[in-house]
Amino acid sequence: MLAAKTITLPSGKTVKQPFNKIIIPAVISIAVFIVCGWVVLQNKGTLKLYEIGTIFKQLFSPTDYPAMNIHHTWADYFGYLFSLEIREALGETLRMSFIGSIIGSVLCLPFAILCSQNIVKTKWIYVPMRFIINLVRTMPTMVMAVIAVSLIGMGALAGIIATSIFTFGIMTKMLYECIEALDMGPYEALQSCGANKTQAFFYSVFPQLLPTYLGYFIYNFEINVRTSIVLGYVGAGGLGVILQANMDSIYTRSRVGAILIMMFLLVLLMQAFTRYVRGKLQ
Amino acid sequence: MMKFWNKEKHEIKKAQTQLNDQEQASQVVADKYNQRPKKWIYNSAIALIVVAAVIYSFISSDISIRNVDFATQFYYLWRGFTHPNTDFLFDMSKGGVPYLTLETIAIAFSGTFLAAILAIPFGFLTAKNVVGKHWSKLGEVILIVIRTFPEIVLALVLIRVIGMGATTGALTIGIHSIGMLAKLYAEAIENMDQGPIEALDAVGANIWQKIRYGILPQVIPDFLSVALYRFDINVRSATILGMVSAGGLGAPLIFASQAWNWSQMSSVLIAIVIMVIAVDFISSKLRQKLV
Repeated sequence: MLAAKTITLPSGKTVKQPFNKIIIPAVISIAVFIVCGWVVLQNKGTLKLYEIGTIFKQLFSPTDYPAMNIHHTWADYFGYLFSLEIREALGETLRMSFIGSIIGSVLCLPFAILCSQNIVKTKWIYVPMRFIINLVRTMPTMVMAVIAVSLIGMGALAGIIATSIFTFGIMTKMLYECIEALDMGPYEALQSCGANKTQAFFYSVFPQLLPTYLGYFIYNFEINVRTSIVLGYVGAGGLGVILQANMDSIYTRSRVGAILIMMFLLVLLMQAFTRYVRGKLQ
Repeated sequence: MMKFWNKEKHEIKKAQTQLNDQEQASQVVADKYNQRPKKWIYNSAIALIVVAAVIYSFISSDISIRNVDFATQFYYLWRGFTHPNTDFLFDMSKGGVPYLTLETIAIAFSGTFLAAILAIPFGFLTAKNVVGKHWSKLGEVILIVIRTFPEIVLALVLIRVIGMGATTGALTIGIHSIGMLAKLYAEAIENMDQGPIEALDAVGANIWQKIRYGILPQVIPDFLSVALYRFDINVRSATILGMVSAGGLGAPLIFASQAWNWSQMSSVLIAIVIMVIAVDFISSKLRQKLV
């Protein structure tokens, strides 16, 4: 199969068919998949396919347990959907991610400048800086939240710390890449016209950087809303807290469904909002 | 002499008119500059709204620190992180860190592999140049629904059906990743060069030959690079999925944090950092080879 095929053309020439290079990655990835699948299948639970219908019914319809004398109606379901508990949790999620994004994106400014090769020309400053930033970025937000919760206790503050560290890491990386790709021509032109370095920075580099920076901020805000929705699952405030509180009992599972609907709406709204703002920025 | 004088005068006059023209030109520029659209009211209104939002969210959030003895907490944190639990870190059995790291990578890889294959039909059915505008809108909506469902919640639902374990984690990642992969696949298909397909049409190729020799060679490198990128992300989310007992490193992490066992926690964190850096390095090298 791997041997090259020779084809004789009508004109008498012989052509060698080139070896199809896609076979190598395909074979390797299928082999790795088989190994990984074997490892994954070592740790499997008991399959209960009939549960699919039950769980969706429990989630997206009002609870009805005659044996426990629980008879909820659709009015109860929609009442919970817009209840104070959910509204407060939604607000907390939004505030948490907003503060986290603000803190992270302000903190990242000096570090982004220290990381960029074309401004700091000393190698032993920007290389260790980048290493630290990469180290910060390896931690998922959820892991950060777990550490913060066990350090300072449950609540929105843990979530704020987690989201701001995450935003700090990703914003620094995006921003220093952006600074390195900047056109330094206007900066030099202004300096040759007699502007000093500060003036040249504010009239050439700053206007180039500002729209990108704001765009990155909005992008991060959207990501943070998505992640902080579930951060509460480990106790870091927001919608996840009530999700976790209602998850265990079957009697409150319709509440979980209502929370899921609100999560979905929040994420959709955030998407529309960021799309609108990004359109305005360009 | 007189002639020379006149000539000089003429030149002076010419220079003066030039100067006047320049002045007029710079005057025009200055006028235009003063007539530039002044958006300071709009900009400062937006700045005010943002500042108000920041102040409001700081005030209304519960960010007070209650009864936290920071010195002791940070002392425990420092001691835990400088003394990782080496018995746990080098425990080669199924409960040890090396096996769980392997399991995490396996969850991420098999999930990504499943998603990379399942996303191909979704990608083709969302591409505008394959199915047309209206059907592509429908496909986009389906992909948005898949993407917005948080991974942890999906895992919690799947755990009821498939049971706890790594298989659930892999399936969760497989389903969730379809959303992003299919969207990026569709973009790759839309950016495809139509020339080879027309050429194949011209030589009389049938639809399978067109797909095999016209479409696949163009899109496969893009597909692979997108899937590798998603694998990076999935390694991180696979560590999180363990927190809801869907296999991998998350479970010992959350147990250690609930017991304030900092040394055990730090050994898990070391494993996460090494794993993520290694995977990032390998996949970025592979992507450079692809492009």
